[in-house]
Amino acid sequence: MDAIRFTLNGAEVSYAGSAADRLLDVLRNNYRCTSVKCGCREGECGACSVLMDGVLVNSCCVAMGAVEGAEIVTLEGYRETKRFAALADAYGQVSAVQCGFCIPGMVLASEALLAKNPHPTEEEIREGLSGNLCRCTGYNAIVNAVAIAAKEGDGLW
Amino acid sequence: MVNGRSAASLQEALKIRANEKVVPYAGGTDLMVENRKDVTYLFLGKVPELRQITADDEYVRIGAAVTFTEALESPLVPALMKEAVAKIAAPAIRNAGTFGGNLGNGSAKADSVLIEFVSDAKLRLVSVRGERVVDVDAFYLGRKKLDLMEDELIAEIWLPKEGLEHYYYEKVGGRNALAISRISFAGVYGEKDGKITKCACAFGAVADTVLRYRDLEAMLIGKTKEEAKAEKEAFLAAYADRMVLTQGRVSAEYRKDVCLNLLRAFLEKFGI
Repeated sequence: MDAIRFTLNGAEVSYAGSAADRLLDVLRNNYRCTSVKCGCREGECGACSVLMDGVLVNSCCVAMGAVEGAEIVTLEGYRETKRFAALADAYGQVSAVQCGFCIPGMVLASEALLAKNPHPTEEEIREGLSGNLCRCTGYNAIVNAVAIAAKEGDGLW
Repeated sequence: MVNGRSAASLQEALKIRANEKVVPYAGGTDLMVENRKDVTYLFLGKVPELRQITADDEYVRIGAAVTFTEALESPLVPALMKEAVAKIAAPAIRNAGTFGGNLGNGSAKADSVLIEFVSDAKLRLVSVRGERVVDVDAFYLGRKKLDLMEDELIAEIWLPKEGLEHYYYEKVGGRNALAISRISFAGVYGEKDGKITKCACAFGAVADTVLRYRDLEAMLIGKTKEEAKAEKEAFLAAYADRMVLTQGRVSAEYRKDVCLNLLRAFLEKFGI
């Protein structure tokens, strides 16, 4: 049986386990990408968000067979980029991080939004983050952080 | 791969489907919630024939593995479908979830399926034996029961290009994003030379399948708006009589009240 080959944060990897396994579990257990959090396992919380071929997906709802040939980016890879630095700075400025559990997903949802729409309105930011639940912040600080990143990181997206 | 087959073309997918026991997998957003370990998935996300949106003279044809995000970005997809699809879950789910999966899951809560019912959509089903085109309401035999043979795949959804311009759509959910429909309603209205030509009413998430009563819709067809107004209360009463709703996350009584309110709002939007 051929293993499932894909790119993880720029490195080529192969997975010999079941095609029915969840991407979420494989990222955490096999590749130690612990930024990818498990909140609900049913696509309702966004804590396990990753970028798959540049598109935001919930890794709990992706079977490994669908990952064949794909490019997966988790926060471990994304944190090496200038875009991440702009988002990290903006999140820090307004204290948008409390317990932190939702933040890897929030940051990748922010990236997915800004990549498509570099100058979003507040409503568009709320829509872009609408699949990511946060139980600490009440969301406003996170929404402000994305607006700041769009402004101060102008040109990066 | 272990426990999975993947296909690069529709022909290859159909051969596998005909010869092996596989579960078709498009976006995975419903399947992975169940997370069955004892199945072999047939991964369809890379089958080009299932990933296109095209149009002919009569229909917009949406491939079964087209995602909701792709449909929102297509100029071919009718506004009514876009309005419903835009309210499905949240961006990450819309990036993965597909039209074929929404149908194949067999739920009356599927938001794109409601629009297919009210639009008189057709489905193109294919197998190594050939293909057949069925009406969406005939495809749904009951809850989780579909007219899909073991060797068939859903290939395309055909939505009429014309006639969906005047509509009313409401989704009632427990929250804005990531909401599973508690009750959904779509109505399509048409008139010509002062007479009503179309009054399609579909109710989602309130019974085993999406509900549509063509004989009741016919009460208003051919009438002027004034005549339809005179008939309005009888029309609503006929729906109240006919609708046998099930209890779900919310009570059957609540469902019925909301359905009738939405039906009335649809009529009033178009001056009836």
